[in-house]
Amino acid sequence: MSTKDILEIPYGTKDILPGEARAKRIMEDKIAANFTAWGYDEVATPTFEYLETFSSCVGNVTEESIKFFDRNNRTLILRSDMTTPLARMVATRLKDGDRIKRLSYIANIFRHEETQAGRQCEFGQAGVELMGAVEPEADAEVIALAITSLKKAGLDNFVVSLGHIDFLTGLMEAADLSEDTAEELKKLVLQHDAVGLEKLVDSLTMAVALKKIFKKLLFLHGGEELLKELLTTVQNEKSVSALRNLAAIYELAKAYKVEQYIRFDLSLIRDFDYYTGMVFEVYTAGMGFPICGGGRYDNMMESFGTPSPATGFAMGIDRIMLVLERQNHFSIASDWDVFVAWDKKCSQKAIAKTLALRQEGKTVKLAVEYLTEAEAVKEQKLSACKSLVYVED
Amino acid sequence: MLTNSEYITIALPKGKLFARSVELLSKVGYSAENVVEDSRKLVISNEETKVRFIITKTVDLPTYVEYGAADIGIIGKDVLLEEDKDVYELLDLKFGKCRLMLAVPEQKRREKLTDYAHLRVATKYPHSAETYFKKLGIQTEIIKLNGSIELAPIVGLSELIVDIVETGTTLRENKLSEVDVVYHATARLIANRVSFKLKFDRLNKLVEDLKKVIDEENK
Repeated sequence: MSTKDILEIPYGTKDILPGEARAKRIMEDKIAANFTAWGYDEVATPTFEYLETFSSCVGNVTEESIKFFDRNNRTLILRSDMTTPLARMVATRLKDGDRIKRLSYIANIFRHEETQAGRQCEFGQAGVELMGAVEPEADAEVIALAITSLKKAGLDNFVVSLGHIDFLTGLMEAADLSEDTAEELKKLVLQHDAVGLEKLVDSLTMAVALKKIFKKLLFLHGGEELLKELLTTVQNEKSVSALRNLAAIYELAKAYKVEQYIRFDLSLIRDFDYYTGMVFEVYTAGMGFPICGGGRYDNMMESFGTPSPATGFAMGIDRIMLVLERQNHFSIASDWDVFVAWDKKCSQKAIAKTLALRQEGKTVKLAVEYLTEAEAVKEQKLSACKSLVYVED
Repeated sequence: MLTNSEYITIALPKGKLFARSVELLSKVGYSAENVVEDSRKLVISNEETKVRFIITKTVDLPTYVEYGAADIGIIGKDVLLEEDKDVYELLDLKFGKCRLMLAVPEQKRREKLTDYAHLRVATKYPHSAETYFKKLGIQTEIIKLNGSIELAPIVGLSELIVDIVETGTTLRENKLSEVDVVYHATARLIANRVSFKLKFDRLNKLVEDLKKVIDEENK
């Protein structure tokens, strides 16, 4: 191997440098503390699992998954999300006990992605899953938790787009689309291709009112008034109950005092096939991709033999850090309070002094070699310490 | 530079779509002084209407929008299909009509598409060409070129070409015959997915206004 090869790192990975890593840790601690404050128990799962675990749920294993073999030639996968391992864990290890489960995690996820700002092949996620409840109270709780956690992380300027899978499903059922057409339509909605969608809808036969809604679908953004308006125009039961569900979640969000962050977006269906109810994504200026996303997935637990409704979210740690940096809220915290240097033969005394300072809660760097006072001043600056204590006889 | 929330940043493509894009946007109140293709200024702002223009190379435009360096942009559907970026496609602007064609030297024309077995195809659009042939189940060797595609079959670099055609004159002049249309394309209004949510009211109005202008003109 040449030196050049030794120094390379794989595509889509990155080093986190001093300062950055410290700021990341501080931010993660704040988020984790908030999860705990809301009654969520932190868990950890293996970094890699059997492929079958992940492929038991639709849309989970794709070309983006990173796969390899164990020594018995069973296929392993680096976890491509945390929801699946958590569902597996609950089904196998936490079956008994309270029906309502609140779990949280902060972990690295692996996916082959075309690397871009804030989109790496290995990236950090912090998230929660709330299992066992179908009520809008559960959905409102996870949305409010996502919002407060983002605020704790240091963000304030963001928008939560809230939608519901059943709104579109209801429309498609009402239009009586073939399976292929439904797939094509969903794909166009996902890509947000208004031109393609209009063309497709024009080529189909369905009620005029329905056509009109489909063509407007990608522009159905708004506040409470949008829900009211849609309730007067949409007829089918499924879409109507989706709208009512969203209205109920919104009322609860008001009680959490977070409704000002929420906007409805009825075209939001998210990338995963497994969502079954409300879905949401969080956006902020300075980042071209969502920084947080989640929703209700009531069918997934069934694939692990323990049917249970569930709702949750995951937020991208790296993306949030990037946003904070770009919005200038992010100071790289690489400095220390005190540099302790010592005169000849005074190193033991210096150790005692250092311990005392650390006891007071100061961050302290202790010189590892004898320095003159002049050298100590220089070293203090080089090592990013705010003040100097010089220990002598 | 990232887009400031007060401003709408619009990316305009250099080349044949440029003039008409500027004209259309100015009709709906989005204009600035000196928006010209060879502008020395990289960013042209209109402080009053809070609009900013950036002028980019055609193939780079979707990237600017995908990253959110521009909120919206105008670009040909051919470039969108080729670059395959994560951007929202809001409106068909109905100008810049062209088609991506599969063409072959007249004397080598065969009866059916499937009569072309393993072949070499020269194109500026490797991604689109590959998708097209994959769908047909035809194996090909795609040769990416950056211009003068018609030259390739003449000098024996490839048997077929896949290229953008507006009128078909260039093909005829080079004795190439059109075999099949890969797709038709026009100019599209695209948006960054986050900008679309954060600046929805302004962008939604822009789409509505543009729609009116286009419908009026195409009556």
